[in-house]
Amino acid sequence: MMPSPSELDALQRRVLGLAPEPAARLDSPYWITNDSYAVLRHVLHDVGGQPDAPVPYLDKEEADWELRTYVLCEVLAWRGVWNSEVRRRAENDLGATLYYGLPYYGRWITVAAKTLVDKGLVTVSELAAKIDEVRARHGAGA
Amino acid sequence: MSDDHDHHAPIEGGDEISEFDVLETAIRELAIEKGLFSAEDHRRFMEWAEGIGPHGGSRLVARAWLDPHFKQRLLADGTETSKEIGIDWLDPTGTGTPSDFTYFYVLENTPAVHNVIVCTLCSCYPRPVLGQAPEWYKTPHYRRRVVRWPREVLAEFGLHLPPGVEVRVHDSNQKSRFMVLPMRPAGTEGWSEDQLAAIVTRDTMIGVAVPRADWNADRAPTEVRS
Repeated sequence: MMPSPSELDALQRRVLGLAPEPAARLDSPYWITNDSYAVLRHVLHDVGGQPDAPVPYLDKEEADWELRTYVLCEVLAWRGVWNSEVRRRAENDLGATLYYGLPYYGRWITVAAKTLVDKGLVTVSELAAKIDEVRARHGAGA
Repeated sequence: MSDDHDHHAPIEGGDEISEFDVLETAIRELAIEKGLFSAEDHRRFMEWAEGIGPHGGSRLVARAWLDPHFKQRLLADGTETSKEIGIDWLDPTGTGTPSDFTYFYVLENTPAVHNVIVCTLCSCYPRPVLGQAPEWYKTPHYRRRVVRWPREVLAEFGLHLPPGVEVRVHDSNQKSRFMVLPMRPAGTEGWSEDQLAAIVTRDTMIGVAVPRADWNADRAPTEVRS
């Protein structure tokens, strides 16, 4: 039987309680130990085996923009703009806040924009103007 | 969906359009305007992406259950044998999808061994035979836990394996994609390939469920219970 949501909440609180408190807030400290350096260097996408509490495994219907993002990123790779490893590396390089903060395809579309700009294929001004145009078309205003 | 109609569709008043949606449209239009790819490239890929789904894998499994020679070929060379049911891993570009051109391995469940798949580093998944991965498969949460606590995770999916059954977790990557060939359940004797394919759900080919004669994609277990 699947545990109830309240059972899962209780378990999650218990497991989170096991995690050691960071000794100090991460805010560009004057000095860190070699151990801390090793921990901070761990690549953020390599999560296999990390402890975590159970959560419900929910199905989610794929939104229209999510499928379009998949196709857009694949077609950019098909035509040689990047490849899937460049995309994955760019996702990892977003840093922990964005990597864990964005939905899955939110990560993809964000790094697609960044990569096109980084490669000089699209300028920031062109992208901003196009975004305004698309918003206006949807009646959302600029 | 198509380039020509999607973004011209009227938006309900007050509904906020997602910034991700706006960004996708902006990049796609800029890419086409600048000739990075053509509208035809996009249309072709979209058509392929809309056609894939777990029905491909279900067909492979059902046929393997009925035809021992097909099963042998499937286990020996998944990529090549997929062609026998019309799935070519080189589609839709001639060199495969940029993310999925790879080796495809089919993992057979037995009374002694249960297989389950994951991609701990990201989200690799056998798209040509299973379609897009479910959202939970791509979460850091599933990626974290299933490699170290597979029995517990499977139990959370409602799959309780006897202690004597070995659980093998297969970590997918850019060049190796896996799919589980589940065991044919009792009560399906004499069934046709179509009947069998109907009970081979996506989750049974990921390995977080096992097929049951009374359980298919249209009749989820929660509905069966109620």
